[in-house]
Amino acid sequence: MADFFGIPVSELNVWLIWILPFAAAMIIPAVGKFSKLSTGRVAVAFALMSAISAATLFPMALEAHEIHHQVMWIDAIGLKAGVLADPLSIIMANVVGWISFLIMVYSTGYMKGDKDITRFWFWMMFFIGSMQLIILSDNLLQVFFGWEGVGLASYALISFWYRDKKKDHVGQEGRSALGVMEYFSPTHAGMKAFIMTKVGDVMMLSGMLLLFLFAGTFGFKELVSDTAWAVEMSAQGLLVPAFVLLFGGAMGKSAQFPLNEWLLEAMTGPTAVSALIHAATMVKAGVFLVARIGPIVFALAAAGILADQFFEIIAWVGAITALLLATQGMVNPEIKKVLAYSTGSQIGYMMLALGVAGLSQHYVDGYTAGFFHLISHAMFKASLFMAAGSLLHVVGSRFMTDMGGLKKQMKKTYAFMWAAGLGLMGAPFITTGFWSKDAIFAAVYEADSSWALPLFLIAVLTAVITAFYTTRMIGMVFFGKNSKHIEKMESEGNHIHEAPRSMWIPYGILAVLTIGIGLIGLSAEEGIHHLFGEYLEHSFGIYVSHEAASTEFLGGLNPVALGASLVAFATGFGLGYIFYIGRWVDPAKFVNSNIFFYSMHKLFLNRWYLNAFVYWGFVVAPLWMARGIWRYFERTAIDTGMNIGFEKAVGWSARVVQGTQTGVSQSYLYIFGAGLLFVVLILLL
Amino acid sequence: MMIELTSTPIIIMVILGIAGMIIPVINVVRKEQGSSTFYGLIAFGALLLSLGYVIYRFYTDSVADAAIFSSDVLVDDGFGSFFAIAMLIVSIMAVAGSFNYMRDKSNPAIYFSLILLSSIGMVLIAFSTDLVMLFVAWELMSIPTYILAGYNKKDPSSNEAAIKYFLFGALSSGIIIYGISLAYGITGSTNIGDVIYGFSNLSPDMLPIGLLAVGMFIAGFGFKMGLVPFHMWLPDTYEGAPTPITALLAAGTKKAGFAAALRVVIMGAAALNLDWTLALGVIAIMTMTIGNVAAIMQKNLTRMLAYSSIGHAGYILIGISLAPFSGLGLQASLFHILNHAVMKGAAFIAIAGIVTTLGIVHLDKIKGLGRKMPITAFGLVISLLALAGVPPLNGFWSKLMLFGSAIDATSVVWWAPWLAIAGVLNSALSLAYYGWIIRKMYFEGETEKRVKEPASIVGVMIFSVIFMVTIGVYPEPIIQFVEMITPSMTAVMP
Repeated sequence: MADFFGIPVSELNVWLIWILPFAAAMIIPAVGKFSKLSTGRVAVAFALMSAISAATLFPMALEAHEIHHQVMWIDAIGLKAGVLADPLSIIMANVVGWISFLIMVYSTGYMKGDKDITRFWFWMMFFIGSMQLIILSDNLLQVFFGWEGVGLASYALISFWYRDKKKDHVGQEGRSALGVMEYFSPTHAGMKAFIMTKVGDVMMLSGMLLLFLFAGTFGFKELVSDTAWAVEMSAQGLLVPAFVLLFGGAMGKSAQFPLNEWLLEAMTGPTAVSALIHAATMVKAGVFLVARIGPIVFALAAAGILADQFFEIIAWVGAITALLLATQGMVNPEIKKVLAYSTGSQIGYMMLALGVAGLSQHYVDGYTAGFFHLISHAMFKASLFMAAGSLLHVVGSRFMTDMGGLKKQMKKTYAFMWAAGLGLMGAPFITTGFWSKDAIFAAVYEADSSWALPLFLIAVLTAVITAFYTTRMIGMVFFGKNSKHIEKMESEGNHIHEAPRSMWIPYGILAVLTIGIGLIGLSAEEGIHHLFGEYLEHSFGIYVSHEAASTEFLGGLNPVALGASLVAFATGFGLGYIFYIGRWVDPAKFVNSNIFFYSMHKLFLNRWYLNAFVYWGFVVAPLWMARGIWRYFERTAIDTGMNIGFEKAVGWSARVVQGTQTGVSQSYLYIFGAGLLFVVLILLL
Repeated sequence: MMIELTSTPIIIMVILGIAGMIIPVINVVRKEQGSSTFYGLIAFGALLLSLGYVIYRFYTDSVADAAIFSSDVLVDDGFGSFFAIAMLIVSIMAVAGSFNYMRDKSNPAIYFSLILLSSIGMVLIAFSTDLVMLFVAWELMSIPTYILAGYNKKDPSSNEAAIKYFLFGALSSGIIIYGISLAYGITGSTNIGDVIYGFSNLSPDMLPIGLLAVGMFIAGFGFKMGLVPFHMWLPDTYEGAPTPITALLAAGTKKAGFAAALRVVIMGAAALNLDWTLALGVIAIMTMTIGNVAAIMQKNLTRMLAYSSIGHAGYILIGISLAPFSGLGLQASLFHILNHAVMKGAAFIAIAGIVTTLGIVHLDKIKGLGRKMPITAFGLVISLLALAGVPPLNGFWSKLMLFGSAIDATSVVWWAPWLAIAGVLNSALSLAYYGWIIRKMYFEGETEKRVKEPASIVGVMIFSVIFMVTIGVYPEPIIQFVEMITPSMTAVMP
C-alpha cells in the first residue's frame, strides 16, 4: 500500500478527517480576500471531503476492526499524538461529518449576504475540525485540545453577531426572575457559554492530570491494556473522584445539570450554528467522552474494581437534566429555545442510558441505547433546528406567538417538521426516535440497581412532556390562524414563502431519514447492538451474552418499556393536540384556572430559578465581593502599600542602572576594565 | 589531514566571498545609483544558497556530530553547522529587512557587500579550531559591522554608535589577542585542542597566567555577547545603528560571541579545572537583572530591545555556567541561542519596518499600530511573547530547559536553584515591558488607517511567526538536533 511521509494511506485517511476541516479554516480567510462567495464553497467542499474520508472507514467498523496510529509528539516527556478509529469513533465521525456537511450546505442559503461571512465559515470549519479531533484522538490530552477548540469556536459563533442588535437577543425584553434579567445579548451569551463550560473543563483537566499521575499515560488503549493504575487509585479512593471530574467536563460541554444554563442563551448565534452545536458538535462531545471512558471504567470490574457510584452519578445527572429541561420546554414562547431545552433533555436521556449501562450486567444494552439515541437525535434535531431557522428567516421573529397558521404557506417545512418532530416525540414504530427511546427505557428498566424504578419513572414522565411540547411547538407554528405579526408583514407586501432550496433540502433529507431509518429501526438497533457487543468484547474484554434477546416479544423488546413508550407518546401527543392543534381549550385560561398549574407554569418559565441562582451566586455575589475587596483591601493595602513601594523600588533601580549609562566613552572603558579585573578575581578565588 | 574543499565553511566562504566581492564590482560597472533591491537580491540569494548548503550537508550526514577539536584550523562539525544555520537565518532576515531601509540611501552595494563579508566571519568563527583562525574570523566579522553601524553618516547618533562600537571592539580585540598570546606562551600552540591539553597539564606556577588568559577571553568575547559589565556600549550602538544592522548585531554577531566562548572559554576553563562556573553564574544573574531592569524604563523601542537582548545573554549563560553539572545545560543554551536569533531578529526587523514606513521608534507613538500595520505588529507581538517565554512558542521550551537544567544541577551545586529563580523572576519582569508594547499597539489609539507594509518585512514576519509557533508546538526535532550537536563536556574534563 502506498504511503505518504511514512504514514500508510488508510492511517492518513483517519488523520485527514480532522485535519481537513482545520486546513479549510486556515485557507478560508485567504480565499475571503478574493471572493467572499467562494469561502462557502471551500467550506462545503472540505466538509464533504472530511465526511467522505469518514465514510470510507465504515466497512472497517462493520467488521469491528480498528486503526490505531501514533506519531511522536514530545519525546522528552514521552507524549505521543495519535488517532484511534474504532467502531465507536467511526460511527460518531460519520454522524458528525455528514450532518455537519448538510448544515454547511444549509448555511450557504441561511447566511447569504452576511458581511462577516468569512469569519463565519472560518469558525464553522474550526468547530467541525475540533469535534473530529475529539472523536478520533487516542488520548485524553489530545481530546482536551479539541475540547478547548470546540469551546473557543462555540464562543465565537454564539456571539457571532457581536454588534448586539436587538433582533439577535434571546429572551423576552423586560422579563426577570428574582431580579435577574432573562434577556441576553449575543456577546453576553457567548461569554456565558464559555465560562460555564470552562467550569467543566477545569474539572476535566484536573481529572485528566490525576489519572496521568497514576497511569503515566493519557492513551485510551494504554489505560485498558494495563490496569495497575486503577488498583492503586482505587486503593487510595481516588478512582471514582478522578472519573467524576472527567465527567464534569462532559457535564459542562453537554449542558447537564447543574451546568445547563448556558445552552439556552447559545441560541443567539445564527441558527446554522445552533444546529451544529445541538446536533453534531459541542453538546455531543460530552456524551462521546462518556462513551469513551465508560467502557474503560466498566472493564475494571474484571479486575475486581467496582465504580458503581460513577455510573450512578451519570445516570442521575442525566435523568434530572432530562426532566428539568423538558418541563421548561413546555412553556417557552421562543421556538429555538424550545428546541434547546429539548436538546438538553434528550442529551440527559443519553447520559442516563450510558449511566445505567454500567449498573447492568449487560453493559452493551445501555451503551447501544445511548449511542443509538445520539444518532437518531442528531438527525431529527439538526432537521428541526434548520427548519426553525427557515421559519425565523421567513417570519423574522423568534417567537412562536408571531407565527401560527403557516402550514399552507410553508408546505415543505411543515411536512419535514412533522417528520422530524415525530422523531423527537417518539412516534411508535415509524421513527428512529421511538426505537432509541424505547431502548433506553428498556435499559433503565432492566438495570440491576435499586435506582432503576425511579429513574425509569422520570424517563417516562420526560417522554410524556417531550411529546407534549413538540406537539405544542408544531401546533403553535403551523396551526390556527396567522398571527398579527404575519398579517402585518403580508399587508406590508412581504409575502410569506417557502425557504430557498439550499435550505430545505438539507433538513428534508434528515427528516426523511428519521422516518426511513425508523421504519427499519429495530434491525438498525440490533445491528448497532451486535457491532458494539463485538467492539466491547474485543477492545475492553467486556463479556456480552449474544443469545439474550431474539426469543422474547417483538425480538427482544421489553414489554414494560414498549408499553410505557406507547402510553407516553399517546398522552403527550393527546394533550398537545387538545391545546394547540385542535385548540379546544385555551392554554392561557387553563393555566390561570388553578393555582397549582399557575405556579408550575411560573416555575418552569423562570427556569426553576436555576439561572437566577447561578447569577446571584456566581455573578452578582462575586462582583459585590470584588467591589468590597477593591475598596477595603486593594486600595489600601495593595495600591498604597505594595504597588507604590514596588513601583518606586523598580523605578529607582532602573534609574540607578540608567545612571551608569552616561554615554561617556571614558566611563564605559573604565567599567570594562573594572569588569575584567572582577572576572579574573572571581576566577582566582 | 587537510580539510576537504567541499566542507561547509569552505563552500560558504566561496559563495559569500564571491557574492560579496562581485556586488561592488557590479555597482562600479553599472555606474547608475539607486536600485538597492538588485544588490539586496544577490546578497539574499547568496545567503539562502549558503543556508541551503549547510542544511544539505547536515542532512546527508556529511558532517561530524560535534568534533570541537581538530588538528586543522577549521573543522566541519555539527556544532559549527548549528551556529552557521542560526547566523545565516539572521543575516537573511537582516538583508530582507534592509530592502526598504536602503531604498533611498546611498551606496547600497557596499552595504549589502559588508553584510555578506561579516556573515563569512560569523560562520568561520563557529567552525574555527585554531585561535589565530578564530581571531581572524572575529575581525572579519567585526570590521564590516563597525562601518555598517555608522552607515547613516549624516546622523550623529549613528556616528556615535559606530565610534563607541569601534572603540570597544578595538579594546576587546586587543584583550583577546593578548589572551591568545598568553595561551601560546604557556602551551606553545595556537590550536585550541593543543592549548586545552596544555592547560590541563599546566605546572602550578604557570596557573595564574592560564587564569589571566581565560579571564581575558571572557572579557573579550563577553563584549560581543553583551555580558554585564562589558555591555556598556551596547544600548548606545543598538539604538544609533540602522535597525536592520541592529538585528544583525543583536541576533547574529552576539551568537558568534557565544560560539567562540563555547569553543575556547568553556573547554579551556573546564580543562583548567577552575571554579569558573560560579563566576559565570554571577555574571549570568547580573546580566539578566540589569538588562531587564534597565529595559523597563526605556521609551525607545530599539533601546528597550537592546536591554532585553542583554537580559537574554544572561539566560543563555545559565546553561553555560551549569554545563559541567547538568547534561541539559549546554543543550538548553544552544536551543535558546537559536531561538533568540529568530525571536530577536524578527523583533528588530519588525521595528525596522515600523521605522521605514512610519519613521517612529518611540513607545508613545506606536499607538494603534495593530491597525496601521497589522502583520508587522502581529509578528512583533509573537516575537515579544516568545522572548518572554509564553507557551506555546519556541522561547517557552528553551527557557524551560534552561531553568530545568538549573533545577537539575541543584544536587551538585548549591547556587544552581538561584539561577532558576532569578531567571523566572526576570522573565516575569520582562513581561512588564513587552506587555507595554503590546498594549500600546492594540489597546490604545483611535481608528487608524492601514498603511502599506513593505513586502520584505511581511515575508520575514511570516517566516518568523511560522518558525516560532511550529517550534513552540512541536519542539522535538530541534531538541533532537541540539542533543546531537552538543559537545560532550566529559571529553575535556580532567
